[in-house]
Amino acid sequence: MLVLSRQRDESIVIGDNVVVTIVDIRGDKVRLGIDAPEEIPVHRREVYEAIQRENSQAGKLDPRDARELAVPEASGSDTDSPG
Amino acid sequence: MEILTSRFGPIEMEADDVIHFPTGLLGLADCRDWVLLADARNDALAWLQNVQRPDVALAVVSPRRFITGYQMRVARRELVSLELSDVSRAEVLAILGKTTRAITLNLKAPVVINLDRRLGRQVIANGDLPVRYELGGERSSFRRSA
Repeated sequence: MLVLSRQRDESIVIGDNVVVTIVDIRGDKVRLGIDAPEEIPVHRREVYEAIQRENSQAGKLDPRDARELAVPEASGSDTDSPG
Repeated sequence: MEILTSRFGPIEMEADDVIHFPTGLLGLADCRDWVLLADARNDALAWLQNVQRPDVALAVVSPRRFITGYQMRVARRELVSLELSDVSRAEVLAILGKTTRAITLNLKAPVVINLDRRLGRQVIANGDLPVRYELGGERSSFRRSA
């Protein structure tokens, strides 16, 4: 991993078209500003990894399990049904 | 053209049936071309079948059908690559998963499709949403896969 030190308002350029700027530093929290083309997704890492894991799991779903899916009544609301 | 899918056997399709995901899916970046198949047995269910990898298919549903008042909230930049002239015409699909208790929906990362342009993208929705929202209630049995 490349490690660079930056102060508030300083930036890093990645490739030709991604710029990361330190917007604010408060205690142990850093606010980062990211300038990137719209087609490049930018997200918190833990969110990204959770979705990657879930996609991987979802890709293994057996049709027999998926077909167990019960379609709610028209309103789609959660109601307690007897029995 | 034909895909020899691992779940559904051989599937015939036209080039027009293919939906192109320019960035693939998260963690499946190489999986860029998909077709949407209706499930043969459950009419609420569809499958995104990958063209390049016949073993990759994702069960999907329309989340509005399962969650009252469902609204996808996503940053505008996420939708730019879909070339939607009208965001309300986008098809929003949630990917199914499962826990030991229930079938789940990935509400955090829905799939958005522009059917007219045959373009798709998995987006990350705003808010504290689950990747595994358990669908509850009426199902009395849950059969494990072999």
